[in-house]
Amino acid sequence: MKNIQHKETEFIALTPKNTRYKIKNLFTDSLKINHKKLDIQIFDDENGFTYLLYKNKKYHAEIIEKNQNKYIVLINGVSYTFTIETPFSYQRKKYLDKQKPKNKVEVVQAPMPGKIIDVLVEPGAEVKTGEAVIILEAMKMQNEIVSPVDGKIVKVYVRQNDIVNKDDLFLEIAR
Amino acid sequence: MDINGKLYRKFLERNAAYEQQNGKDAAKKQHSKGKLTARERIELLFDAGTFDEIDAFTRTAPAESNFGKVVTAYGDGVIIGHGKIKGRTAFIYSQDFNVMGGSLGSVHASKIAKIQDMALKMGAPIIGIIDSGGARIQEGVASLAGYAGIFRRNVFSSGVIPQISVIMGPAAGGAVYSPSITDFVFMTNKTSHMFVTGPNVVKEVLNEDVSFDELGGAEVHMKKSGVANFVYEDEENTLRGVIKLLSYLPSNNMENPPAIEACDTNIEPAPQMLEIVPDDPNKPYDIKEVIRLLVDKDTFFEYAENYAQNIVVGFGRLKGRTIGIIANQPKVLAGTLDINSSTKAARFIRFCDSFNIPILTLEDVPGFLPGIDQEHNGIIRHGAKLLYAYADATVPKVTVILRKSYGGAYCVMNSKNLGGDFNFAWPTAEIAVMGPEGAVSILYRKELIESEDPAKLKKELAKRYREEIANPYVADEKGFIDEVIDPAVTRRKIIYAFEALENKHVTSPSRKHGNIPL
Repeated sequence: MKNIQHKETEFIALTPKNTRYKIKNLFTDSLKINHKKLDIQIFDDENGFTYLLYKNKKYHAEIIEKNQNKYIVLINGVSYTFTIETPFSYQRKKYLDKQKPKNKVEVVQAPMPGKIIDVLVEPGAEVKTGEAVIILEAMKMQNEIVSPVDGKIVKVYVRQNDIVNKDDLFLEIAR
Repeated sequence: MDINGKLYRKFLERNAAYEQQNGKDAAKKQHSKGKLTARERIELLFDAGTFDEIDAFTRTAPAESNFGKVVTAYGDGVIIGHGKIKGRTAFIYSQDFNVMGGSLGSVHASKIAKIQDMALKMGAPIIGIIDSGGARIQEGVASLAGYAGIFRRNVFSSGVIPQISVIMGPAAGGAVYSPSITDFVFMTNKTSHMFVTGPNVVKEVLNEDVSFDELGGAEVHMKKSGVANFVYEDEENTLRGVIKLLSYLPSNNMENPPAIEACDTNIEPAPQMLEIVPDDPNKPYDIKEVIRLLVDKDTFFEYAENYAQNIVVGFGRLKGRTIGIIANQPKVLAGTLDINSSTKAARFIRFCDSFNIPILTLEDVPGFLPGIDQEHNGIIRHGAKLLYAYADATVPKVTVILRKSYGGAYCVMNSKNLGGDFNFAWPTAEIAVMGPEGAVSILYRKELIESEDPAKLKKELAKRYREEIANPYVADEKGFIDEVIDPAVTRRKIIYAFEALENKHVTSPSRKHGNIPL
């Protein structure tokens, strides 16, 4: 048990393409990434902007999103997505990925009755989780219907100005 | 005295045997399934070195016949004890899947009951980590009686100490009802399941093929059933979530929630607030942006974020003090109140009220969701739960109306006459019985039919309606709104309002209990 607590100081930053960066001593000055010792400093300026200082160069940095252990950060205008894993959670991820059924199709349905104002995607388009795919006017509001998964649009069942009922099929997304 | 001497022999032997039982082999079994052991989970949850186990050496009750296999491991498949989480006492039981599949026998059950009784007596939170095959079949009715005893204690403790269930493996049959009574249910994605009857029975009885995950996986309970309030991708993050949740909660109903000293004391106006809500009332926006600007930096902790997303509910801090937040989400289902959002918010309000957590309501609601589906499934009685929960809550209650506030939904969302202590509105608020278009169609039906250009007339009338009726000033002049405020100073206003309400005291009429429309 003590092992787990001890190992906690070692983390793995994992990108969506499964590139691994081993990080040691995350909360100290002597940060090690992939066994190389790096000297990186983080500071805020008087306007509340955050900068990283590395090899005497300043990089503008911002955390765009943090959800559980998933981060999206912006460094010099480029956004990076990654998760922070512990050695155990990384093992678990590898184990679960092996069991994952592939090529599953997700359907997007009307959450309430209304009128289609706009269809923002075409078959074949790549979408990300949370990306708007359809604008549905209902309850006098232009509701954004978002993709529940990362994937590719397979089929679109509705067109602009269609009137839809609750649970009508909007589109299919293959992930 | 000689610690290795004769007198201590049995003591040392037992300890060694128990170490062995919890050793590497046990860990290997769980790790190969992507799970941690019962003990590793405890170690991650409690501050290092603070956990003390009790009743470690209990033995499984002998079965009455030789039906099935009986194991002679220590502990009967559950670890109970107490320790400190961020310095505060908490009690725990953690089921051990390695001992008889974590199944619940009579000794197992009486251990859980013992720790439940202790937690209640001491007034400290109790956490149950569930990883169990269910009732132990060999022990028959004794294990069912054990479950019933646990449920009764769950109910007795409800509203006295926070009860948290963490599902980290199977929870089937009777095992699901204890978590459902507790205040919060955590689940770990992919490796935990909850159902009343499993896939095998479903197949046998209904001839339906369904997998464990499709029937009762974390994703189902987070998005569809609403059973799981917090879902995380792995066990370590799940336990971190429990620690974070506890940081917002008092240990019992006699205490106030803990305040953080080093906190965000900024009360400067936030002009960004004016840019979040669009001028066009038909355009949606993300209410979470408003919440994040109002509460202390990075303190918003959302509850059931993937269920009934048309209402956003969670904890936050104002100058270090815990508040509960209920907010309509115009981005989802236009922010309407429906069955699921009503019950979600109602249960959260009940929790806050039980544990002295003040409630902030952010309102932008066009009304209840119309439709056959909603009416036939009982939006009347489910909507009533939200109404009841608000009216019954005696903690400080503050409401801010950002934009729409129409009809029954106005009344329900903590309006002045329902018991709101401070009710503020932004200048963009529209407070009326119904929206402009609907209202003029009823009031000027005849004129609209006879008119040569009904669309133009309707537009004009709607404009007049907005100016004369659907605005915050009428409500303000009648006292239904305490103040129309500049959106930029909302944070300062609500902080001072809650400070003014700090010693709020309400006496209710004497009764056994009210009859909430369940």
